[in-house]
Amino acid sequence: MQTNSRRTFLGLCLGGLAAAATALTAYPIFNYLAPRKQTSGEGTVSFPESDIPPGGAKFFDFRGSTGVVIKKTNGELVALSAVCTHLGCIVQWENVKQDFLCPCHGGRYTPEGIVISGPPPRPLPKLPFHVANGTITVG
Amino acid sequence: MAIFKKIHTWLEVRLGIDDIVDKRLTGYLLPRNINAWYSLGSVLLVIFILQMVTGVLLLVYYVPDADKAFKSVSIIMNEVPFGWLIRMCHAVGSNMMVAVLLLHMLSTLFMGSYKSPRELNWLTGFILFNLVLATSLTGYLLPWSQLSFWATTVASNSAGAIPVIGPYLVEFLRGGKLVGPPTLGRFFAVHVTLLPLIIASFVGLHLFLLERIGVSSPPFGQQETKSTWTGDRFRYDRHSNGIPFFPNYLLQDGTSILIYLAIFSAIVFIDPYLFFPTTAFIPADPYKTPAHIKPEWYFLANYQTLKVFPSEVIGLLVQGVAMTFLALLPFIDRGKERHPLKRPVFMGCFVGGILLYFAMMIWGHFS
Ligand code: FES
Repeated sequence: MQTNSRRTFLGLCLGGLAAAATALTAYPIFNYLAPRKQTSGEGTVSFPESDIPPGGAKFFDFRGSTGVVIKKTNGELVALSAVCTHLGCIVQWENVKQDFLCPCHGGRYTPEGIVISGPPPRPLPKLPFHVANGTITVG
Repeated sequence: MAIFKKIHTWLEVRLGIDDIVDKRLTGYLLPRNINAWYSLGSVLLVIFILQMVTGVLLLVYYVPDADKAFKSVSIIMNEVPFGWLIRMCHAVGSNMMVAVLLLHMLSTLFMGSYKSPRELNWLTGFILFNLVLATSLTGYLLPWSQLSFWATTVASNSAGAIPVIGPYLVEFLRGGKLVGPPTLGRFFAVHVTLLPLIIASFVGLHLFLLERIGVSSPPFGQQETKSTWTGDRFRYDRHSNGIPFFPNYLLQDGTSILIYLAIFSAIVFIDPYLFFPTTAFIPADPYKTPAHIKPEWYFLANYQTLKVFPSEVIGLLVQGVAMTFLALLPFIDRGKERHPLKRPVFMGCFVGGILLYFAMMIWGHFS
């Protein structure tokens, strides 16, 4: 019994040391691999209105994701998230048809982001924007 | 504890773990007078694994592009959390690997363990040594610093001394007339895929041979077992009243590994730049050779040899002959005697060789 408890005690010490060593190794490796903090959390994006031809679209990085502004043929502007609500592909603006096509599974959206056909469950989220002195500011 | 027993039983029923442990570990007997020097192989195995792990981690952030390599290494060192630690472990580890390899080789030489029937162990080990040197050399270029750039320029240039094919060989190694972005591409590929794969397979072969032929008994201490191998047919060198590998010798392995890790951490945490000259911190500049460009400590002797001989060809030839002699030593030295004191000629060459190596190294450092 005497030797047995001594053996158990030493075993526990050894196990504790091994656990500590593992933690000491795992901590730096985990931090090394952990994703870096995104700096563009709340920013806005601005560009001149003349960037977008009538009936055309402009895609841009927006808060770590992708946004799009289209100018309808009647000159009206719409700002949307370009991330398809189905499985996250980036939708394409079809100049000819004047609607959005998602190339991944054929989802279709109106210029307002409403689903016409295909698997997307929700409309594309609208992005807040305003126009001042010919400059569009999204965000 | 019951859960461990369950897992053990489950595995035992399917894989026969106990059988393997019994035959390969506990039943594997080593000579009773085996000493600590025999554990350097395990230390090297641990270093190799550490180099693989830190190397894979570095690949996460390193960019093998001449325009971005230096920057990416700076980012690893200064911005990525613990990036400095991973890189320092890799860089210090490579130096330590060469150092421990040299010790492993010296102890093998000193105790005559390379002798028949272990010629193949020696040969595979010797090839491993050269492969590790090649890995160190190719890895040296990757940070794309002044040091990397010019060290590679000088090192690849020496291949040009080989008659006839030399100049073409240099260009082939560099992927161009001078060291440049194409050199980085090929050195990167060789450093991260080709050499590690070859090294891993040679480590496997080396260990297979060790297990197959049996551990040599050191020529010191009481002679428990005598080699009975007569060279007529394969016979595993068993040490009938020796000590089991597991747990007895594994404890020695563990001790040596911990001692190594202590020294290694001391360097990484106290003096990580021990092996870095200042030119390692300046981005590569193909138009400006820094003054006093010197190779790593383990190439200093080779560097000095090249300087001593008036013609590069002779310098290379001398080194080639010395290396070939070392590689073929077990086929040249056929004597059965393994005790160093009873091998005066060998001892003379051994001590003389070490002294010469150190002399050339120190001379190279200060010249
Ligand atoms: S991801 Fe867009 S339709 Fe599937």
